[in-house]
Amino acid sequence: MRHIMAKQQQTLLERRYSMLGLFLIAPTVLVFCAVIVYPLISAVYLSLFKIFTPTLEGSWVGLDNYRVLLSKGEFWTSLRANLIWTVGTLSLQIIFGVGMALVLHQNIWFRSLARSLILFPYFISTVVAVLVWKWLFNDLYGILNHLMITAGLIDWPIDYLGSMPNAMISVILVGAWKYFPFVVIAVLARLQSIPDQLYEAAKIDGAGPIARFFDITLPQLREVLVVIIMLRAIWDFKEFDLIFLLTGGGPVTSTQTLPLLVYKEAFALNQMGMASAYAVIMMLIMLGFMLVYIRRTRSEES
Amino acid sequence: MADVVLSNVNKVFGTFTAVDGLNLDIRQGEFVSLLGPSGCGKTTTLRMLAGLEFPSGGEIRIGDRMVNDLAPGQRDIAMVFQSYALYPHMSVGQNIAYPLKKRGVAKAERTAMVAKTAEMLQLTPLLNRKPRELSGGQQQRVALGRALVRDPKVFLLDEPLSNLDAKLRGYMRAELIELHQRLGRTMVYVTHDQLEAMTMSDRIAVMESGKLQQFAPPQVVYREPANRFVASFIGTPGMNIVDGELLQENGRWIFQSQGFSVDAPNLGPDAQSGAAAMGIRPEGLSIGTGPIEGVVQLVEQTGHENIVVARVGDGLRMTGRTNPDQPVRAGETIKLSIDANKAHFFAEGATGKRLNKAAATSDGPAKSQSALKEATS
Amino acid sequence: MARKILFNIFAWMVVLMVAFPLFWMLVTSVKPQFELFRRPPSMLPETVTFEHYWRLLSDTNFLGYFWNSVILSTATTFVVVTIATIGAYSLVRFRYRGRETLAFLVLFTYLLPSVVLILPLYLMLVELGLSNTITSLVIAYTTFALPYALWLLRSFMAGIPEDLESAALVDGATRLGAFKDVILPQLLPGIISTALFTFILSWNEYLYALVLVNSDESRPLTTGVMNMLISSFNIEWSLLMAASVMMSVPLIIVFAFLQSYLTRGFGAGGVKG
Repeated sequence: MRHIMAKQQQTLLERRYSMLGLFLIAPTVLVFCAVIVYPLISAVYLSLFKIFTPTLEGSWVGLDNYRVLLSKGEFWTSLRANLIWTVGTLSLQIIFGVGMALVLHQNIWFRSLARSLILFPYFISTVVAVLVWKWLFNDLYGILNHLMITAGLIDWPIDYLGSMPNAMISVILVGAWKYFPFVVIAVLARLQSIPDQLYEAAKIDGAGPIARFFDITLPQLREVLVVIIMLRAIWDFKEFDLIFLLTGGGPVTSTQTLPLLVYKEAFALNQMGMASAYAVIMMLIMLGFMLVYIRRTRSEES
Repeated sequence: MADVVLSNVNKVFGTFTAVDGLNLDIRQGEFVSLLGPSGCGKTTTLRMLAGLEFPSGGEIRIGDRMVNDLAPGQRDIAMVFQSYALYPHMSVGQNIAYPLKKRGVAKAERTAMVAKTAEMLQLTPLLNRKPRELSGGQQQRVALGRALVRDPKVFLLDEPLSNLDAKLRGYMRAELIELHQRLGRTMVYVTHDQLEAMTMSDRIAVMESGKLQQFAPPQVVYREPANRFVASFIGTPGMNIVDGELLQENGRWIFQSQGFSVDAPNLGPDAQSGAAAMGIRPEGLSIGTGPIEGVVQLVEQTGHENIVVARVGDGLRMTGRTNPDQPVRAGETIKLSIDANKAHFFAEGATGKRLNKAAATSDGPAKSQSALKEATS
Repeated sequence: MARKILFNIFAWMVVLMVAFPLFWMLVTSVKPQFELFRRPPSMLPETVTFEHYWRLLSDTNFLGYFWNSVILSTATTFVVVTIATIGAYSLVRFRYRGRETLAFLVLFTYLLPSVVLILPLYLMLVELGLSNTITSLVIAYTTFALPYALWLLRSFMAGIPEDLESAALVDGATRLGAFKDVILPQLLPGIISTALFTFILSWNEYLYALVLVNSDESRPLTTGVMNMLISSFNIEWSLLMAASVMMSVPLIIVFAFLQSYLTRGFGAGGVKG
């Protein structure tokens, strides 16, 4: 009882500080409400309407959009494409990323130059990445086909983006190329923080390089890998630019992931309400992952 | 005259009570240590004095002002932090000048005051350096300089010596004592190190679980610990504390424990029959003759004395001191006796009250201090 | 020793393979048109020409797009970093009701997909009469840049010892005074890092630019250059590669001089949480 009473007493100073804190966070809160919270709520609201994009005239249809969407094959094929893309590109990012980090952790020649070169793809615009890769993939003059034919790997130029499963594989590969540097830097930072004594102790205990990798390096990386995988899974799942620019979802709809479907519904088929329903469903699918990630970060902080 | 007063101060973090009904009266010019294990609320108390933490209840007064609602800068205090908290982007000179600048002291005057403070702390050649270019001891002196430069009413020191190595710590302790004597300012010093508290303080406030356990001059805390917690916390090696029972036999009090019993000649009026504990400092235990039998487990040689740890009965460990010339070896069986006049008796529980009769020692800022300081440092 | 050399050769082969597309971009951009279609293709250009760069600057609207991107990214960075710096200070160093929830919301929006927000934002900006303006893009970009910047700065802010601020308060500073005198100088590397990230993020953004801006006057580089690809009859790869190189110029500058800030931001935002 006394504690509850005590809690209520706030000094003037404490109150003044709280006011100042609220004043400083006010711009953030205002902007958040205007450009994030309000749109987020409207997205859900819009999904209950049938809206024709050019005129923006709408009529209430309730949950009809959702009913239609879940029974339409296109949603499920897009979800499937989305999962294939996410799992495919994420696995490659992790494998190459960890591998490259281990290589860069060694004392190789011109290490910082190598690190810059590896890091670069992550920071260039997706537009640049796509233009370059389209040029590499070009069926007539592309260097990739030329090199593969010269090396005797193929007899005839490959259509990298216009046929299946090539298109999906190409998209996954370009995605891996663009985003694996994130994994490299994150893992490299962690590797550099593993104390040398651990390796020395293991050496004294008679562990060879392979045993040291599995007994020390990998367990030490586990934590950071979990975080990286969750973060990249979320980001890859919602990727729009790369796929849209490389294939536009084609051939037909074979690489059309959910974000592309939302865009198509809204601006090609002019069904704004339907598109919102797709967006909301997509967010719900991601929500699970996001909540797991958030909970993890928060428990780490406290 | 009281200079710093805390009346019934509480601090609650969520469901955790960090400071619980604390009352402290610190006199002007006094050096007071807040002593206790980590998490006892001593740092929170200091931060509340500084205005960096806000009391959930109670009143804090500095001088003649109630300071609960005053910002730290308005309280006329200076604080030295455990981490020193030197501003990394400012030079030593700018660091020391900062509190003056914030008080609107004119530039010329500022420079002069900084120069004077730097002179006093032998920092003059370092004035243009950045904190990261200094050694730990130098950083510590800069932190001190930043506190000294504006001559505040009260100095607050939060474990300022804990990041120094042992030798430097001893040196700085002496410096601080000398500084306190020279300035005559009130100082509140937080520490978990009883040696620092014992050697420097006029009075020590021993805290545990957010509560004040005892507030008294060092030798009182040592000789007449208010309760079992204070008794066990103060002194190295620690006081031997034995659980047992107090009995009255023919009008005489007897303390009985496993395998032995001791007279309890000087119990006060609070004594009751039943479960209790007896405490005896290692120097109250004589080794060689006596009614108690023990097996020596460990002999630690410190040079001027040996510390003997013996097992008495099943599992009870007693620590005593012997002259290094007296040959005692591990494994040997020895006889022990307890000087009943030096024994303390406590009521049941971790903070059980001391039951002995109050001694005649006064509670005032003892001038016999210096003798004790020399003895311990 | 031999093993070390072999390992180095292997490592560098992998690095060069990863970097090859960028190398090829550069090579293509300085090859004359006739050399481009030669078979087999030449790895290094036989004659180096900058004609594509000149054409890009004189015959196309590239400079217009570039200028739009500069204004857009600078404005976004300025607005976002300003709001986020004081917001992060409040989130980390003040106590008030709802603070935890807010931090949670920031993290949530940091992960939120753009396509969910883009439709209502599109409607909102059309209604405000802002469609086809750079302002509309600045507003839209805050949706992803502000949570990102807040998250990054929050992490940097948390790395500044609380004692420093306490010391400044005891020394007589007000909260805002301590912020200006002590926290801001300490936060500066974090602010630079965040600003760089925000700038790059805005510079590279494509989806919002595609949906919200449909006029060459306010089109930024990403959609502008893509338009050059779509609207021409025969694709001029050299020109596009020159555009790609030019588009990456700010990035190359950052990489050359400020890379440590990028890696620092990585640690703060992506991985530590």
